[in-house]
Amino acid sequence: MVQRCDTDILILGAGGAGLFAALHAHKTAPELSITIAVKGLLGKCGCTRMVQGGYNVALGRGDSVERHFMDTIEGGKWLPHQDMAWTLCATAITRIQQLENELGCFFDRHPDGSLHQKAFAGQSFDRTVHKGDLTGIEIINRLMEQVMALPVRCLEEHRALALIPNRAGDALAGVLLLDVRTGSFRFVRAKAVLLATGGGPTMYRFHTPSGDKAMDGLAMALAFGLPLRDMEMVQFHPTGLLAGMDTRMTGTVLEEGLRGAGGYLLNGDGHRFMFDYDAGGERATRDIVSRAMYAEIRAGRTSPNGGVFISMGHLGADNVRNQFKGMVKRCADCGFDLAAGRVEVVPTAHYLMGGVVCAADTTTEVPGLFVAGEDAGGAHGANRLGGNGVANSTVFGGIAGDVMAEFVEREGVLRDPDKARIDHEIDRTRHPFTQTLGNINALREQLMTTMWEDVGVMRDASGIGRAARRMSELKTELMHTGLANSDPIFNLTWHDWLNLRSLIQVSEVIIAAALSRENSRGAHFREDFSAPGELLSSYFTVARQGERDGVQLYHKPVQFNIVRPGQSLTSEGHTISNAVEGLT
Amino acid sequence: MAELSDELEVAVWQGDRAGGAMRIYSVPQRPSQTVLDVVTWIQRNVEPGLSYRFACRVGMCGSCAMMVNGQPRWACRTHIKAALAGNHLELRPLRNLPVIKDLACDMSEFFHKWQQAEGRFYPTADRHEPVAKISPASPRRAAANKGIECINCAACYAACDVVAWNPGYLGPAALNRAWTLLNDVRDGAQKRRQRAVLQNNGCQNCHSMQGCASFCPVALNPTAAIAGLKRTALRAIRQGQV
Repeated sequence: MVQRCDTDILILGAGGAGLFAALHAHKTAPELSITIAVKGLLGKCGCTRMVQGGYNVALGRGDSVERHFMDTIEGGKWLPHQDMAWTLCATAITRIQQLENELGCFFDRHPDGSLHQKAFAGQSFDRTVHKGDLTGIEIINRLMEQVMALPVRCLEEHRALALIPNRAGDALAGVLLLDVRTGSFRFVRAKAVLLATGGGPTMYRFHTPSGDKAMDGLAMALAFGLPLRDMEMVQFHPTGLLAGMDTRMTGTVLEEGLRGAGGYLLNGDGHRFMFDYDAGGERATRDIVSRAMYAEIRAGRTSPNGGVFISMGHLGADNVRNQFKGMVKRCADCGFDLAAGRVEVVPTAHYLMGGVVCAADTTTEVPGLFVAGEDAGGAHGANRLGGNGVANSTVFGGIAGDVMAEFVEREGVLRDPDKARIDHEIDRTRHPFTQTLGNINALREQLMTTMWEDVGVMRDASGIGRAARRMSELKTELMHTGLANSDPIFNLTWHDWLNLRSLIQVSEVIIAAALSRENSRGAHFREDFSAPGELLSSYFTVARQGERDGVQLYHKPVQFNIVRPGQSLTSEGHTISNAVEGLT
Repeated sequence: MAELSDELEVAVWQGDRAGGAMRIYSVPQRPSQTVLDVVTWIQRNVEPGLSYRFACRVGMCGSCAMMVNGQPRWACRTHIKAALAGNHLELRPLRNLPVIKDLACDMSEFFHKWQQAEGRFYPTADRHEPVAKISPASPRRAAANKGIECINCAACYAACDVVAWNPGYLGPAALNRAWTLLNDVRDGAQKRRQRAVLQNNGCQNCHSMQGCASFCPVALNPTAAIAGLKRTALRAIRQGQV
């Protein structure tokens, strides 16, 4: 009933991190067998492809790794894991050269042929390499072409279900997968496993990530007993398209450059409200604009669908059409006139800074288990800079490939799995087939509403407490909600159920972390504790799934092993740009 | 609000490689509604076993292309008003690709041909060297840029009659990619690529019927790219380079 196979290296996920890992592992040790398992199609699902803004890298004359690093630390409100942040900034240089010279990406140039680097919010230097506003497509297309040419086994439309220990229960044996196309199970034994499934906070009413994202990687890590850090840090992007609850378009990003270029945000009364909140107006940073929008929405001054408006027409419709071709076309395809009319927008959950605790070489506390990309926590601390997302996944994906290959050659062994655990996970996965027909989508709607209203842009103890109670009810309701269709083949409704299971599990951790951080840093804003807290005694949250279901949460002090608050690595100190343009 | 009470009549092909049939659904019309939303509504409300594929929701991943009233289109970026015939929508899996189930196709052949056309970069420099200085206005780069924004959704491949007649034909997307690479001055395998696109199933099969260009959702013109390949190939043959 369970198909079995063996591989030296198993990579879960085929975005920027997973594909880079495959390339590097193969180059480091060509004789090793590599398997990639991905929930959708290779390079097509996931979020690397959706990167609009670009790739931060200190290449320009006058820029330096130190400056990029300081921007990352200050942007992350002193919470980043400093070794990870340093590795990110330092390795980005060879990685961008690799993308261009070895993979064939072609990024935008100045007329003289040199690489163009644009300004991006929160940075002291124009360092964002890009390909128009479709940087991610260029990166992932070139990557998938290279990986498809390698002797790598690719399990497309295979959903990872669980990390499976060995018989003794003291090491990782492999991963249990579900073949979406056949509905059958597959167990892959591996000497090394990379968790690179991507994050994507789709448990929020409004969200930007790809529709397949459901935090499966973090849910698996939790179930295996791994610690997650910074889980309260969910980044919201201010301008998600709002087109009603019945369309999947809702939540998708309208680019940040619209605000940068001078777009107005208007509330339901037509009032331009941003200057009521911040002197920067619409050009204020993502978190400030998101909170102001949320305050207007909560006060009831909303557009028809419950958001606010973005209005560009005063800049000249033709000019807007010209400058924001892609966005104007996207809105037009959905029936909206961005160039001359008003389009409804709402803050939208964009990125999870939190993830699995790991070291800068992608190792975790479990030997043989590695983590990279949005599944990894620490590099961004309390907030991620636009342009550091795809740098993160490609930098650490490559490192993971190198490190895994060396690990397998040095000490890799195949272990026999705990069969009882495999059986248990199969039962857990098939559970909805044992329950009577229910409305899975209604539960998903309730999850999204709860997280948006009570653990979203602004939080307080009573709201978070309400969410905690609701989450445990939802978990129970899900376990009594079954599937109408009993055919397991390519059954999206079964996968909706499994997605919901992962999302609820990870939401419980976000809730616990949000409750425990009684201050406001970066993306985490507590209305009942609005001060940032002492920088020198900064801590990060760590969560584990307890033996008996509950989430255990504790705090650990940030190690200022490279730079301390009050210091800078750059001699001239720091001026951070307020430029708002594009996003990652 | 009369419009809101209108119902769409949606016919959806369901089946697998062994065969299938159309089933008809009545779907409430909404002001903001794409083909993907229609399919999603059917799956969530009446046909939980309906299989389809999507990921990004915004026209970046090219996972959701299907035949919409006979034309290959992205489901996610096609507003129903742009596709409706009266109040009728007919949805089928992409033409020219083997179906897996219902609206989801097996794309492996499409990507296999991408490789057969040498649709990947062969480096001449490495990660320790600076990025090449190349003017974006130089003629070859400009030619490459024209075709580079392909997201491999296979709409052109589904639109291509030559692929329908000759299933071995590499098709417009793979050849378009080969053309962008032939214009990439950094690439080190041009002779190999020219041989690849000149194979029996290569660029000479194109009849310039423009199906690909007519239906490319990002308005690329693979027909023009293939014409470029033919010209370059002829020149190379005459000069004895291939």
